[in-house]
Amino acid sequence: MPTAKQCIAWLEGENLEMTYHHSMRLLLVEDELEIQGFLKQSLSDAGYEVDSARDGKTALQFAAGKRYDVLVVDLGLPDQDGIDLILQLRRSGVSSPVLILSARRSVDDRVKGLEQGGDDYLTKPFALAELLARLRNLLRRNLVASKDATRLRVLDLELDFIKRRASRAGEVLNLSPQEFVLLEYLCRHAGRVVTRSMLLSEVWGMRIQPDTNVVDVHIYRLRGKVDTEGREPLIKTLRGIGYVLKDG
Amino acid sequence: MSSKTANPVMHSAAWRISLWATLAFAIGTMIAFAMLHRFVANDIQRRSDAWLSGEVEVLGDVAARTPKDRLYRRVVGEVAELASKEVPNKLLSDGNANDSVFFLQVGDDGALKLWVGAGDGAPNLAAIRESKVIPDVPYDLHVKGFNKPFRVVSLRTEDGSHIYLGLSEKDEMRVLKSLRVRFLLLWALIVLFGFAIVFYATRRMLGYVREITEAASRIGQSDLSTRVPTNKRNDEIGHLALTLNRMLDRIESSVHQLHTITDSLAHDLRSPLTAIRGKLEIALSSDVKVEQSEPIVSAIDELDRLTEFLNSSLDVAEAKADALKLSRTEVDLDQLVRSMIDLYEPCMSDKGLRVQMRSAGSVTVLADAALLHRVIANLLDNELKHLPTSCNVWINLGTSGNAATLTVEDDGPGFAPEIVSHMFEQRVKGIDSKGHGLGLAFVEAVVRAHGGSVTGSNRPEGGAQLSISWPRDQAQKVVTPHSFALVNR
Repeated sequence: MPTAKQCIAWLEGENLEMTYHHSMRLLLVEDELEIQGFLKQSLSDAGYEVDSARDGKTALQFAAGKRYDVLVVDLGLPDQDGIDLILQLRRSGVSSPVLILSARRSVDDRVKGLEQGGDDYLTKPFALAELLARLRNLLRRNLVASKDATRLRVLDLELDFIKRRASRAGEVLNLSPQEFVLLEYLCRHAGRVVTRSMLLSEVWGMRIQPDTNVVDVHIYRLRGKVDTEGREPLIKTLRGIGYVLKDG
Repeated sequence: MSSKTANPVMHSAAWRISLWATLAFAIGTMIAFAMLHRFVANDIQRRSDAWLSGEVEVLGDVAARTPKDRLYRRVVGEVAELASKEVPNKLLSDGNANDSVFFLQVGDDGALKLWVGAGDGAPNLAAIRESKVIPDVPYDLHVKGFNKPFRVVSLRTEDGSHIYLGLSEKDEMRVLKSLRVRFLLLWALIVLFGFAIVFYATRRMLGYVREITEAASRIGQSDLSTRVPTNKRNDEIGHLALTLNRMLDRIESSVHQLHTITDSLAHDLRSPLTAIRGKLEIALSSDVKVEQSEPIVSAIDELDRLTEFLNSSLDVAEAKADALKLSRTEVDLDQLVRSMIDLYEPCMSDKGLRVQMRSAGSVTVLADAALLHRVIANLLDNELKHLPTSCNVWINLGTSGNAATLTVEDDGPGFAPEIVSHMFEQRVKGIDSKGHGLGLAFVEAVVRAHGGSVTGSNRPEGGAQLSISWPRDQAQKVVTPHSFALVNR
């Protein structure tokens, strides 16, 4: 098992810049200084070039002056509602993905956020790893295989989307349809951390937080079939964070 | 008015009210007419009787004064004919007066002395002989060959002969008949018209009541911000609508207050939790030894548990207060439970639990999909946490009447006896349970917010049983397409 330090390192800068060949510009809009402080620090550590604003007005000024690759917006701002801010940003031509941070829980607020131009949301408190994983997910449009591809290769692992079959080093893996979908998701996000809640919402279509290890058991089973004896283990567990499928 | 309540008109209150009102009106007018009819009939008879008595006296007088010679027959006959032309109630079109009036004189020997009228007078004489004669008082006489009776008055002359003057009642009857026909036609029209007016008025009024009911039931199901329709009139129904709306104002404001309290509580707790968690994570990422990182990791775990507890507590509090915001969509329970079992099955079989589902196929309900997911997840988490190895879990899905029923049974130790009666209350949990005691409270609150019910018991053969009954209201489809876009992006 990797140490905590290694886990975090996995999420951080070294392969971000490698992937994008330049650092990503991120606008952070958060009014709580405490939260803004640590977010700014860890986002910079993860390789983002971060500008931070405490209110909507400043955020709009920043957005007018520079092009950002991704925005992180808190819904509870002192001068205006976060959703209104997103609407204003969209109207002023900002099309970059937006990740909403919210202390509100009810679903309709979240949906409202998504409908009006936000692309993903996280409820406070959240794991930094989750935030980083989701940010990369939002930026993936420049990345990895397109959805239309019929085949996907990660190292010696190969997925055939037409036959719904996976093989490793030419040897067909005996996967259930569910396991195939899970492996597909991991492969499409190869080299990036996927969290349990990402798996639950993307693979099973559920926004739940089970207090049992249901997702882990699926991963253990999948690992039992993919990472058989004598092969290099591909699926890694990052304790307290999620999983990553090695891509190099 | 929508056709949502598929009641045929005949079952509506408006129909019954109009029917009873019209019946009372119809009976009342009928009685009034019967009395009027009786009065008119009596009056007509009184007039003909007066005429008869007058004429018979004149004729008696003429008969007495006219010498009994050859001309007697002609004189009396002509006077009688003249009299018959002045018949009361006679229709102008009826030219033949002969069959409506007859004059008859019978000698003291009982033989026919003089006859003026239609025919030879024999049947009239026979009828007079058969009937009991009351002198000077008009009476009814039925004569063979005439279907209408005659009104007859008799007079005894000085020479001992009897004079009879008869007037057919056919004109009188015709008048009365035409009166009856006209009345009945008019009566039928008035009754129909009255029914229509009453029906229209009550239907309008009750339609308004139904609108209020429908609006109120919509409000009860989802949206607290709408109000029942009010009209400008200051009547009972207007008051009902106003009262309902005032009540809704109060409910909405207290629910809103609750939302504000929970939201601000959540917000005030979440911000420091986020900051603490973030700082811990950053501490973890800086150069620390593995031994030093352990307490940080466990602090993060504790923090996550605290967050989860905060979330469930607020959810349960909101659900208990019926303040959950439901975004209902059509959900197939069968599909949902199956995918939930797919998710949980590996974990369960790892623990040595067997889970089986019995379902009669697709069962669609209107529900908040996200909440429903959490309800099922709570139930399965519950089983996972409380069952010892090699137990069975049976999940049955079916319908009964207008409800979907979902039962989760197991052959484990069952509910602890001390909690069976109040397992759905917050913070109630078995002594050995490690949970917060919120899972089932949440399940119950969500199901109740959707209009369903949950019962829990221990099976007689051992093990626990939870039954959820979920209403299947197909009539109202509330479609919020974006709540799915969220999970299937």
